[in-house]
Amino acid sequence: MSLLLEAERYAANQSSHIALNAFISPLPRQSGQWHKQAKDADLRAKQGNPKSKLDGRLIAFKDNICTRDFPTTCASRTLETFTSPFDATVVQQVEDAGAIVAGKTNLDEFGMGSHSVNSHFGHVRNRRHLSAGGSSGGSAVAVATEQCYASLGTDTGGSIRLPAAYTGTVGFKPSYGLLSRWGVVAYANSLDTVGILAKRTSVARDVFDVLNKHDPRDPTSLSPLSRSRVLSKLSAPHLSSRLKSLPLRIGVPLEYNISELSPSVRQAWYRSLERLSQQGHTVEPVSLPMTNHALSAYYILAPAEASSNLAKYDGVRYGTQFTNKLYAKTRGAGFGPEVKRRIMLGAFSLSAQAMDNYFVQAQRIRRLVQRDFDAAFRAAHPLAAEPPYSQTGVDVLICPTAPSPPPSINLTINGAGPLDAYINDVFTVPASLAGLPAVSVPVYGDDAAGNQGSAGVAGIQVIGQYGDDELVLKVSELLEGCGL
Amino acid sequence: MLRSCLRHCPRATVRSVSCPRCLHHEPPRIHLARQQTSLSPSFLQIRGLQTSTTGPEEHVPLRKQLKQGAKALKAQKRERREQEEASRQKWELTVGVEIHAQLNTETKLFSRAPTLPSGLPNTNVALFDLAFPGSQPEFQAATLLPALRAAIALNCDIQPVSRFDRKHYFYHDQPAGYQITQYYEPFARNGYLDLFTHDGIAPEDGDRVRIGIKQIQLEQDTAKSQEYPPSTQLLDFNRVSHPLIEIITMPQIHNPATAAAFVRKVQAILQSCNAVTTGMEAGGLRADVNVSVRLRGDGSGAHQYGGIGGLGQRTEIKNLSSFKAVEDAIIAEKNRQITVLESGGVIEGETRGWTIGSTETRRLRGKEGEVDYRYMPDPDIPPLLIGEDLVSALSDNLPTGPDALIDMLVGQYGLPIEDAKPLIELDDGARLEYYQDVVDILRDLQQDLDAEAQTSLGRVAGNWVLHELGGLLTKADVAWDAEIVTAESLAALIDQLQRKRITGATAKKVLAMLFEGERRPILQLLEEENLILRPLSREEYIALAEAAIELNPKMVEQIRSKNQLGKLGWFVGQMMRMGEKGRVEAQKADSILRELILGSSQ
Repeated sequence: MSLLLEAERYAANQSSHIALNAFISPLPRQSGQWHKQAKDADLRAKQGNPKSKLDGRLIAFKDNICTRDFPTTCASRTLETFTSPFDATVVQQVEDAGAIVAGKTNLDEFGMGSHSVNSHFGHVRNRRHLSAGGSSGGSAVAVATEQCYASLGTDTGGSIRLPAAYTGTVGFKPSYGLLSRWGVVAYANSLDTVGILAKRTSVARDVFDVLNKHDPRDPTSLSPLSRSRVLSKLSAPHLSSRLKSLPLRIGVPLEYNISELSPSVRQAWYRSLERLSQQGHTVEPVSLPMTNHALSAYYILAPAEASSNLAKYDGVRYGTQFTNKLYAKTRGAGFGPEVKRRIMLGAFSLSAQAMDNYFVQAQRIRRLVQRDFDAAFRAAHPLAAEPPYSQTGVDVLICPTAPSPPPSINLTINGAGPLDAYINDVFTVPASLAGLPAVSVPVYGDDAAGNQGSAGVAGIQVIGQYGDDELVLKVSELLEGCGL
Repeated sequence: MLRSCLRHCPRATVRSVSCPRCLHHEPPRIHLARQQTSLSPSFLQIRGLQTSTTGPEEHVPLRKQLKQGAKALKAQKRERREQEEASRQKWELTVGVEIHAQLNTETKLFSRAPTLPSGLPNTNVALFDLAFPGSQPEFQAATLLPALRAAIALNCDIQPVSRFDRKHYFYHDQPAGYQITQYYEPFARNGYLDLFTHDGIAPEDGDRVRIGIKQIQLEQDTAKSQEYPPSTQLLDFNRVSHPLIEIITMPQIHNPATAAAFVRKVQAILQSCNAVTTGMEAGGLRADVNVSVRLRGDGSGAHQYGGIGGLGQRTEIKNLSSFKAVEDAIIAEKNRQITVLESGGVIEGETRGWTIGSTETRRLRGKEGEVDYRYMPDPDIPPLLIGEDLVSALSDNLPTGPDALIDMLVGQYGLPIEDAKPLIELDDGARLEYYQDVVDILRDLQQDLDAEAQTSLGRVAGNWVLHELGGLLTKADVAWDAEIVTAESLAALIDQLQRKRITGATAKKVLAMLFEGERRPILQLLEEENLILRPLSREEYIALAEAAIELNPKMVEQIRSKNQLGKLGWFVGQMMRMGEKGRVEAQKADSILRELILGSSQ
């Protein structure tokens, strides 16, 4: 199929799936620039001279990633008419690689939510009235329903992995600092990571390869020097031979085996371990004792940074001014309830009387979570002054992405309180706090009725040491289609 | 309106003069006038006379009235001084100062936008300066250099690691909703500044006082807002994120004059090491002061600031824009606190404001209105790592500070301190450079002269550069330019004078010619204008003196009988006038006159 035909099919799907509300700004219906771009890419392909593996592919962007050609609303009323004067670096990179921006996808306002229901533009719908996960729910549904080739999202505490798990797609959050955040609207800068959603791991890798470059405009982007240091540590003999001549040591974090784990998820987890051990890899238990505290720490740190980052939305220089009164009234009208809740939480934990008991303690826990991971992995943290690897330790951790299958969307909107939503992040938050690469890959368990197949799909998470992104993707590939 | 606008501004940083909030602080002239009249009631009466309203005291002669007025004023002043002294004996004042200074940099702190003042509002701004969604800070390393020079000149320990924090508050001149500053880990700590008598410290502080500097931090400036009442505010973001340093002292100042001297000296140092472009007068420097009082010897106060305990409750006075305002505001606030305490009241921790020309500080907001700035480490900005090598390279290349310059001028050049200080301060150091050029050339010219002439050379040159040339500049109202009278010309002229080849009067006359654009070399000029001194003979002097004496024999009698030697000068003047121009030397004339009138030979 030609790239143009493929693009047209995606565009048609965007129209037919409009009820899913995956896009805030879809592709223009009647041919636009994308038409010509796809044709040009076809021509290059015919001449055997494609720009990259992404040449002519339609890639959708979460609507908190700045684009010049589409509005960037962050699903917020305060930015409902805002168009950024510049493209994010990742948008630039994707376009330079020949890919086509397939529109802007729906999300929880400013990335705050776990079900993509906190949107000024209405909630995202997954199959069978289930939650799409959040906050990159629009990006996940767009990939799952073939409204684009792949999509970019952001993952602060699980916002790519959770929707991937709920929609049966592959969701990859790379190591913090590898992909540029310039032009990505900040929710919690120290955690925000651009990531990729795709149907297959190989596609996610292709996109990752295009984006994995230093960006001088992002002060948190890993420098070329640090990048080469990471590479040289990973090329130490014991590490470079993994999966080639050496079987993997697979870690099973015991603390993730909680009683609330739903049976289908536990089964998918079990099948994944079974498959890996059948392939000759060793599976061993690992302890990550700080796991229990990680979620609490996350819900202190992320709102604290959010309360600071969102202080700029006052309607003075851009965005919507709803009254002629600044601040309280304008901000009160511009933000939805979940954003307000997190701003209040963050403002409190940063206040003089709470700082030491909340923010500072949470930072300590964050450090301890990192230590947990460092103790578990065979590879040392490549940016620490240690020998590259130890004799003990595992290569990757395998665990569920979420404790349960997607809940009914009505329940997430009406029934459950915010705490229930926060619980969904319990398995994804630790890797975010430690900045580690993690991928959620669909693995199939039995559904509630005991039927094997797509109904019982669960996300299984592969977590690696910092910089071990390639290994994480390889293991993801090993697990792809498992249980079918 | 001013009140409410200030209340909304929890942390005013440097506001330039054109900022409307500061315009409100500008001294309305009427204010000053009113203050004067209230000091001296008789002024009002004088006005009464002129407007011919009748009053009972109308018949008192004007001269008497003026005298009485002056006397009353004097008495009042004395009384106030005595009261001050009495209250000083009883109460101890403690002051800490915070100075905000705009750094001399090409770019903003976190973007490449230029800091150049631009006529067009909102032209020098980058995306980050406007807090656009998705934009990120890019620390401009070069902005660190002037900050480091300042910190080194203020004897600080430069911290190898420092960090940036966000200080949150909402105000429309603060686009991000927070200011980036260094709250938890500033880049410089533990500095100090020595102040001497010549810096203008209070006499109670003795010859010298050392003020500790707690820390210096880098931070962003805010935007400029212009108010168009009733409801329009225009914002110019050109200034936003201009790099500032904030200098915070220990609470170690105990006299208002010393606080003003400290701010003045900090400004001089910042200018001398090229850390700032403008001073207080142009809005490039602002001071806040913390003021508390306690009974002398009473260390039981519950408050502690900067690690110094036992202090009284302090208040903060924001946004002082002149040295005089610093001193006056502290005096006013000290007196207010003492009055409150002496009448059994309690000082509240609050923020107060000061209007130039006023006699009282006024409350801006109390503790309950205090803003919690919710300081948070900035997650986007990496720690600032400053190498030892950079610090030592900067220290080595730092220009000599004002203290060392004064030592040098007084010690090596033999200048009196009252000449040394203006020489350093004038024309951003250009005058000093010129002076040194003159001295260097003069030294060359006078190698053959005796030791005494050599040692007096620095002092003499100082006099000519500062007073003679300076006087011409002032009179003509011309800005300094080293080319008006070149250092070579002035040195040659002074040399001729020192060698007694011309008289002082001739030298002054020639300087005036040079100042007017005369370009002939000095020697040629003296030659052609026939200005070289041909000394008069003793006989000629006596003839001149006798002629002068004849003009006023009565005065001669007074000199003789009443020993009124001061009157000799009149006769010297007459001799100079009668004699041939440029030939009469005052000193010689004087000695002949003494000989003739007093009969002494010396």
